[in-house]
Amino acid sequence: MGKQYEIPLGAQHISLLEPLHFKFTTENEKIISTDANVYYVHRGIEEACCTKFKFRQVSFVVGRVCGLCSISHSTAYSQVAEKLVNIEAPLRAKYLRMLVIELDRIHSHLLCLSHVAENAGFEALFMKTMQYREFSMEMLEAVCGNRIQYDFSIVGGVARDLKAEVAGMILQRLKTFLPQLDELVDIFQNNWTLSLKNKGAGAITREAAMRLNVVGPFARAAGLAIDVRNETEDLLPWKEVGFEMVTDTTGDVYARNMVRLRELYISIRIIRNIIASLPESALVTETKAFPDGEAVVRLEAPRGELFYYAKGNKTQMLERLKIKAPTFSNVAAMVEAFTGNEYGSAPAIIASYDPCLSCTSR
Amino acid sequence: MNKIETSVDSLKKDIGAFYKPDLHHFMVMNAVDLGDKIELQWFFCNYAFPSAVTTFYTLISPDTEVPDISDIVPSAWVAQAELADLMNINIENTKKGFVLEPDFESGPLRKKK
Repeated sequence: MGKQYEIPLGAQHISLLEPLHFKFTTENEKIISTDANVYYVHRGIEEACCTKFKFRQVSFVVGRVCGLCSISHSTAYSQVAEKLVNIEAPLRAKYLRMLVIELDRIHSHLLCLSHVAENAGFEALFMKTMQYREFSMEMLEAVCGNRIQYDFSIVGGVARDLKAEVAGMILQRLKTFLPQLDELVDIFQNNWTLSLKNKGAGAITREAAMRLNVVGPFARAAGLAIDVRNETEDLLPWKEVGFEMVTDTTGDVYARNMVRLRELYISIRIIRNIIASLPESALVTETKAFPDGEAVVRLEAPRGELFYYAKGNKTQMLERLKIKAPTFSNVAAMVEAFTGNEYGSAPAIIASYDPCLSCTSR
Repeated sequence: MNKIETSVDSLKKDIGAFYKPDLHHFMVMNAVDLGDKIELQWFFCNYAFPSAVTTFYTLISPDTEVPDISDIVPSAWVAQAELADLMNINIENTKKGFVLEPDFESGPLRKKK
């Protein structure tokens, strides 16, 4: 047995974007166990949503839970509130929600991939990926008015329509982005340095992913076919617009990169199909009802299953709002997947988890 | 949402009989403060029929010790640790300080009296 060391990583560390703290126990360089803490950014958002804001305002509050998947939060909340007041968003609003969710997935996945490259010491690829990501931010601003925290989904529908010239601009920019995505796939797939660092690192099996209830690209990279877009047709018609599940088998950093890259092609297909078949209807279903009863909603955010529970009491204020972010579901597997890896691989493994502590701690 | 009532005494037996790791996806635990009582909830869905959410629930007093189910659902320790911090719920084998800093207000999501 080698000498054992305890090595802290985070909450502030050059390889971590998020305030997450890991304590690794290593035997020489090999990680034999990991402890995690996520307690640095609790903001009391669930409490505020039930005590400070009326239920119609809450979609704007939960949009601030996260800068990366703001639209997922505001859409999931809007859907759960719609269940409580017993209305359904118009079809055009559903399509526009899916459009923004997919644009958001493009920017989020590219951010994750850029940080995997950065943590592998590949600065040039980090900058290239961030440069290619910029179009998605510009398109989100054109559609929603903001680059982040879009305030797009509201209870009953969406706040803005898609103008024809913006739709045309999105199609044009996607055309430019497609060869750039091909280039990124080629680098992530074939670059010798990245392959050496990423293949086999931080791997979990399909059985472990299932046992630990992993979600999102983390699960799909291990072969666990779980994607809410494949499941909840009643809320958003994903299959109508060309959704297809992407999975891999090896469950390592390399597989997570490839799943995210392949999902970008699906996102592009979905966006094109939405623009080509955008139905004509109102943008909002109006109601004067107050929330009553309890409901749950699941939605596939870029990092996986986002879960909202809400309980109403026939007043303007909610009785309870519970948010479960995808990273929260993945914490148990994140801790386990380090075991057996070299400490030097930890930064790349963490980046490949794509953790979001802003969502997790709320 | 299919709600199944359970109790603290039969919780492990009920969830143990229901939960199959290759069939069921455990999503999260939740608690709703009803004043004198707290409603605890465990949410599951089925990989084959994912739209169907199954919820186990029980009403407890604030000082009740709730059994740890992480021997049945290994990832449940994360949700248990969160509820111990945010709702000040006493859960077996679960220490505080995972979601909130040690000097944070205890049970911030509990209703203020």
